[in-house]
Amino acid sequence: MGRYHYVFPGWSNLLLPGALVFGAIAPLYAVLVVAWGFSPKTTDVGYQPTQPVPFSHALHAGELGMDCRYCHNTVERAAHAAIPPTRTCMNCHTQIHKESVNIQPLWDSYRSGLPVEWVRVHDLPDYAYFNHAAHVTRGVSCVSCHGRIDTMEVVYQQETLSMGWCLECHRHPDQHLRDPALVTNLAWTFEGTEEEEAAYRAFWKELHQINPSQDCSTCHR
Amino acid sequence: MPPLNDGNTSGRAYWRSLDHLADTPEFRAFMHREFPAGASELLDSTDRRHFLKIMGASMALAGLGLTGCRRWPKEEIVPYAGRPEGRDPGIPVSYATCMELGGVACGLLATANDGRPTKIEGNDRHPVGRGAADSFAQAGVLDLYDPDRSRSVRREGKRADWPTFADWAQGHFGQERERRGHGMAVLAEASSSPSLLAMRRRFLEIYPNASWHEYEPLNNDNEVAGAELAFGSPHRAQIDPARAKVIVSLDADFLGAHRNAVRNIRDFAAGRRADDATKTMNRLYAFESEFTLTGANADHRHPVRSGDIAVIAAWLAGRIVDEQAWRPFEEDPAAGAVLTGELRATLEHALTDLQAHRGECLIVTGAGQPAEVHLLAHLMNEALGNVGRTIAFTPQPEQAKHSESIRALADRLADGKIGTLVILGGNPAYNAPADLDFPALPGKAGVTIHLGDYYDETATRCTWHVNRAHYLETWGDGRAWDGTCSLGQPIIEPLFGGKSALELLAVLVGDDTTDGQAIVRRTFFDLIGGEDEARWRRALHDGVLANSAWRTVTPAADRSGLAAAAEALHEASSARSIRTSGGRGWEVVFRPHPTLYDGRFANNGWLQEVPDPMTKLTWDTAVLLSPAAAGELGIERGDVLKITLGERSLEAAAMIQPGLPERCAVLPLGGGRGFEGRICTGAGFDFYRLRTSEAMSFAGGATITKTGGRYELVTTQDHHTIDVETIAGRSIQQRLPSQFREADLEEYRHHPNFAKHRTHVTHRLSLFEENLPHQAGEGDYAWGMSIDLNACVGCGACIVACQAENNIPIVGKDQVKRGREMHWLRVDRYFQFAPRNDRYDPNRVTAVALQPVPCMHCENAPCEQVCPVAATVHDADGLNVMVYNRCIGTRYCSNNCPYKVRRFNYFDYHRRGPARTQPGKLLQVETDYFRKKPATPDELKQLQFNPEVTVRMRGVMEKCTYCIQRIAQARIDAKNAYANLPQAEKEKRKDRRIAIPDGAITPACAQTCPAQAIVFGDLEDADSRVARARKHERSYEMLEELNVKARTTYMAKLRNPAAPGSGESQGDGARDESPARGDAGHSGGDAPH
Repeated sequence: MGRYHYVFPGWSNLLLPGALVFGAIAPLYAVLVVAWGFSPKTTDVGYQPTQPVPFSHALHAGELGMDCRYCHNTVERAAHAAIPPTRTCMNCHTQIHKESVNIQPLWDSYRSGLPVEWVRVHDLPDYAYFNHAAHVTRGVSCVSCHGRIDTMEVVYQQETLSMGWCLECHRHPDQHLRDPALVTNLAWTFEGTEEEEAAYRAFWKELHQINPSQDCSTCHR
Repeated sequence: MPPLNDGNTSGRAYWRSLDHLADTPEFRAFMHREFPAGASELLDSTDRRHFLKIMGASMALAGLGLTGCRRWPKEEIVPYAGRPEGRDPGIPVSYATCMELGGVACGLLATANDGRPTKIEGNDRHPVGRGAADSFAQAGVLDLYDPDRSRSVRREGKRADWPTFADWAQGHFGQERERRGHGMAVLAEASSSPSLLAMRRRFLEIYPNASWHEYEPLNNDNEVAGAELAFGSPHRAQIDPARAKVIVSLDADFLGAHRNAVRNIRDFAAGRRADDATKTMNRLYAFESEFTLTGANADHRHPVRSGDIAVIAAWLAGRIVDEQAWRPFEEDPAAGAVLTGELRATLEHALTDLQAHRGECLIVTGAGQPAEVHLLAHLMNEALGNVGRTIAFTPQPEQAKHSESIRALADRLADGKIGTLVILGGNPAYNAPADLDFPALPGKAGVTIHLGDYYDETATRCTWHVNRAHYLETWGDGRAWDGTCSLGQPIIEPLFGGKSALELLAVLVGDDTTDGQAIVRRTFFDLIGGEDEARWRRALHDGVLANSAWRTVTPAADRSGLAAAAEALHEASSARSIRTSGGRGWEVVFRPHPTLYDGRFANNGWLQEVPDPMTKLTWDTAVLLSPAAAGELGIERGDVLKITLGERSLEAAAMIQPGLPERCAVLPLGGGRGFEGRICTGAGFDFYRLRTSEAMSFAGGATITKTGGRYELVTTQDHHTIDVETIAGRSIQQRLPSQFREADLEEYRHHPNFAKHRTHVTHRLSLFEENLPHQAGEGDYAWGMSIDLNACVGCGACIVACQAENNIPIVGKDQVKRGREMHWLRVDRYFQFAPRNDRYDPNRVTAVALQPVPCMHCENAPCEQVCPVAATVHDADGLNVMVYNRCIGTRYCSNNCPYKVRRFNYFDYHRRGPARTQPGKLLQVETDYFRKKPATPDELKQLQFNPEVTVRMRGVMEKCTYCIQRIAQARIDAKNAYANLPQAEKEKRKDRRIAIPDGAITPACAQTCPAQAIVFGDLEDADSRVARARKHERSYEMLEELNVKARTTYMAKLRNPAAPGSGESQGDGARDESPARGDAGHSGGDAPH
């Protein structure tokens, strides 16, 4: 007994191959965890913060059919698609549902002149400069980046908004182009054959001289 | 001193500094290593090992924090509750306004981003600036966000508020009204504001026994007195350098310190564009003590002590006007001694030139020269027929002389005759003449009220302090140098509830109308004679009241005072003369600081850090001495000197500056503030302590001794020296003439494309496969820039404009010392020295070369080839772009940039700010990076950031982008405009490229350039200004032998010396040339009007 006290037990033979297997798997595991955990798909897509007012785009833009630009009226002129001021809401809500508890924050803002603090859903890094006007005036629909907002009760982020995703469209813009008059019609789809659709998209591409830049300087300054 | 002709064949040699001339080890170190040894080390005890330990621990801990699910924090969008009509969030809006400095207003456009003023430009509708602005105006926006600004009303140092003050004032001034202002005094800054003048009249009506004083440390008392001597009443000279063929400057810095410099620079540059068929340009002679920008741009410059300028003026006047002017000096050997050698020869040339250009020459006199010199100049201009042509006058309302005015106030204060003293702006405790002992005086008044931006030297000595509103926060008005009336409107509500002088006065006189807008409106309607709302709106929109410049007059000068004036000058000059004090005395000259003005901008980080255009000194003021003087005193740069003038003395560090007269020390004002601001504390020396009311601009008989102390002075003159030696294995002097190309006008006439032949480019092909997908001809646009060295005067406004536009941090003195300044655009300054005994003599500067250097945007960019992560690449328009989010900070690109235009952010300078400690009075950046880093950049300072430009963090390389945000905006605008065209129109144009009109994009530097030296545009468009400039015969590419194909090109400088080749006796040359010039002038179409 005492003699064997200093001899490694049998299972210790497994230590070396075990360590080798662990050493082989651990880096792979780490890479996968990081790749999955840090990808915008994981971190950003589906981001759906609670807003101070339970505003339903499905009701306003979908059911009631209000144009996006009724509220986001700077989208054709400015880089930002401005969140509407409280007064825009109150154009209607001084008449409709004015007693609702849901719009109480709007009344507070309307009366005090202090803004409603909405939570930003689609958030690009500060070194990326996206310009709404440049896309919307040339026939890229809201739906291409924001998805079917007109069906969302609470807005969430549908696309990754990652650089690779931006570049995908800048490389192959065709399927995102349409008549600029139709950009806010989120439900619109082309009706016709594939060839007809390709010709339609190509027409708008050529007419607007759309040749999207893939230079860094297009978005980063 | 190195020997002549080390391989230089052009006949010109250029030196960045005396260290360069002497080839000291320090200079070589700076040249060979863009960042000196150890530049990347941390500055405190935290060494590399310690750093790794900390970083390792941080990494380990970072894992624990990975529980959040989003990469960046939740962000709120805060829209308006009720958005004003026509306001789109995110679209910047510009408003016309005006800023008053030294009693002269300049018209500006203030750009606001979502309500925050972020950028100042010149107002293009203002007839004086025409879109240009100086450094002070550019940097003014930073003062608005200065965290050291006074934030509240104070009573005896304790926080109070405006209503408390207003209540107190109502009671106190109610009693004063009963006494009709007996024992009351007001001390105001100079102001041209019609509203303030109206308010002053009102004040004196209500308080008839009160006295109103005015004081500016940099005033034009002497100019006014000179005009009074000449014309019997005060007049202001309105010079027109554009029309003058010959300009003689008598100690006048009309391109630098003058309050109308923006316009003078434009006019002067216009007179030097020798581009038409006749190829004529003006010629500038400068006789001056300090090395000013005017001297740097002169064709002939001679250093003369300020006290001896009188001799030159008298000599010229004796020959041009009447020999009486020279008579008192005739027998004086001392005067004769001034006019010897080269100076005498140049003066003879100048005289010949002046007489050959009657009616198209100009003599300008410095504000610091005595009234009699101004008189002589007025008489000379009249005798030469210049009045009404190159110089005209505008009558000036009677104004008290500032030095007399403050002396009268000081006397009354000292006698205890003042019960209530109101100080409206200004800082007399800091900048009043030293003999008045002003700091002790406010205590002798019963009650003192101070209105000011800071709780400064004066405020701490007053009973009440009212925080003043910045000009971007308040209503105002003012007149430009020529009288053009501008309106000023607020861009933002007062951040700290400050009040303007108008609003304060309205309370003091007990007016019902205390609102700034109402006051300015009232004055405006009085001015135009009627309540014309439409004109008010128009003037407010344009920023100027159309045609409101004063009418110019051409008064006849009175010659009767000539003899007396000459006598007085002679007496004064021999009394003041250093020669009378046994040859051992020194002259001291007090000068406005080129970037700090009178010290009021001392707490402005941009203006502290932008190098002085001539000395390249930053973060300091110092005694400027010539190399000969330094030799005599046995000192080097940074030695502490003791200067004694009369019974006053102070100790200050010495800076050795070539091109100063013998036995003359130049003392720039504006340093050594007593106010404990985070920028100005410890920056420079306070030379006001030597400045007395008898000698406001210069004084003789000072003594200077070496104390043995040392003080660290930091200049950027050797930074970013283009290291041509290692590029091409050739001598630096062989290459510098190809970097800065210039020729005399004579050579240019015979050899118009001289600039193309300054360097020999043997090949246009590279040994390597060139990566050139982006040459002009491809892509939609090809951006390029051309800088006309013949127009540029080197004022440096472009540097500040660039800093404001592109969120460029300041780094602090200690970091500048290590070559880490962040300016994307620098202005290189070279001296040319005269040879003597086959050596270059550092005491004789023959010429100065000034060259702005931004990124060259090389098509074949060396930086791109070495970046391991492709963080610097080309875009289709040919821009060399820097991708901050890719950069990992290897600095290889900077190492490989032949122009040395890349800047590395070592320490997140925005976040740190230039906080400092002061061991041994030495200005030092707080080095304790790990422990004292504030969490965020100062919130106030953040408000200034341009949202269109990324705020770079540490570890990232950055450089000039040609203001890519402006290019992007113009491109998007053009494409949107195209997309919004009717369908049929689009069908027609769809095969043509979408044009961006020439001039739609102006980088910040080009926009503010008073000389209009910088042109930017599309090289694809053959008619664009930049394409034409590139085709110009004077156009050249810096370091073109490297085959980098730079997009930024230069236009060579021309000089117009009286005697081509310059030398001892070139009288013949001058005579030969003058008639030729005269002919050209008659036949040519270069007369600008």
